[in-house]
Amino acid sequence: MERVELSIPSNPVFERVVRASAAEVGNAIGFSEERVEDLKLAISEAVNNAIDHGNKREAGKLVAVVFEIDGEKLEIRISDQGDGIEQLDTSRHVVEEQNLESGQLRGFGMYLISELVDDLEVSSSHRGTVLTLRLYRRSQL
Amino acid sequence: MSEIIRREESGEVAILHITSTSVDAISASAIAAECREMRPITVLDFSEVSFINSAGISALLKFVVQARKGGFKLFAMNVSPHHQKIFKMVEMSRFMPTIEERDLAEYR
Repeated sequence: MERVELSIPSNPVFERVVRASAAEVGNAIGFSEERVEDLKLAISEAVNNAIDHGNKREAGKLVAVVFEIDGEKLEIRISDQGDGIEQLDTSRHVVEEQNLESGQLRGFGMYLISELVDDLEVSSSHRGTVLTLRLYRRSQL
Repeated sequence: MSEIIRREESGEVAILHITSTSVDAISASAIAAECREMRPITVLDFSEVSFINSAGISALLKFVVQARKGGFKLFAMNVSPHHQKIFKMVEMSRFMPTIEERDLAEYR
């Protein structure tokens, strides 16, 4: 198994660092161009969630990202140092007229992640939340 | 004029060329600010955009809201196949359909 670890401050500008790393990892393990784009977007959403909703952009809190590659899959764990969450809503969330009228223009992130990865797990406690994403090599066939 | 969007205007048509390669949490507010100056036909050009996430989609939705308020037509141009897929997933394409550059002639 090969492993890449990153740790970033809770500042959205550093999400771009994780995204660039995800692209390199995806390319290195031979994912298709489209699969790499899916990976970048899923990780971007997960890291932004960790920064905004987990760590609440507190400067002293970090977001840790671990990529683990084995023969079968790429697994990514995104961890924050927040207070934990009740649950994540991965239900279908699309642009709807009533939301446009009420100004609710956000909330697509978890739905996008759930659509773009093969497997998604969440564990949360008062010490933080860990989101685990898995993309299997067979998915690009 | 913001550096993040280059405007090209002709009659009732405004083409807003997004010059940021990432439409994300960092560029979102500057992009969204441009929705204050829309024309009856407004086209967002994504030819230089290589990445869009949900923060970026939220910024683009501000154009949708503004277009609906003003009765304007809003289109997207040069959207990559990946971004077309994402727009379809969240049904963005219902509110901001794509248009080919050659089809813009009828509005000019």
